[in-house]
Amino acid sequence: MRRYEIMLLITDTIEEDAATAVFEKAKKILADQGGELLDEAWWGRRKLAYEVLKRDHGFYGILDFHASTEVVTELERQLKISDDVVRFKTVRPEVRTRSNA
Amino acid sequence: MPPRPKSKDRRPRKDKPCPICSQGIEYIDYKDLALLKPFLNERAKIKARRTSGACAKCQVQLAAAVKNAREMALIPYTTR
Repeated sequence: MRRYEIMLLITDTIEEDAATAVFEKAKKILADQGGELLDEAWWGRRKLAYEVLKRDHGFYGILDFHASTEVVTELERQLKISDDVVRFKTVRPEVRTRSNA
Repeated sequence: MPPRPKSKDRRPRKDKPCPICSQGIEYIDYKDLALLKPFLNERAKIKARRTSGACAKCQVQLAAAVKNAREMALIPYTTR
């Protein structure tokens, strides 16, 4: 079990309710897989620093959790499939430098 | 070239402490934009170590954090 933190960038082509639903779904996937949620944050609608997929706003959500590698792989797989999730980033906060270039 | 005039009051310069280490931060979070902003110049480029004053360890982590933040559209890659 390792500590991970995933930030989700959800499209603003959908309403905030729908966006939170996407976020809740990610949490559900995590819970179903056996991840232990430590903390979560919902930043709401934010202006993006640059255009992403022709949109200049997006919803941000952050999940902080303990889970095994397989859980994270599965969650990432499902996030990749989801059309509402524009981008996501997984980091391991204890690990100082990022391992992938 | 004439030899440079020797300055009498030239004394060894003390190194400035690293602005991150001196704050007691051990993990640089890419979400902490207030922390990262001072290390970007007006073109949103990462400041060089000689400008930022960060130590080698911090500068490496800092650069990684800025790049993470850029990927998540929190910080621009460049402005103008």
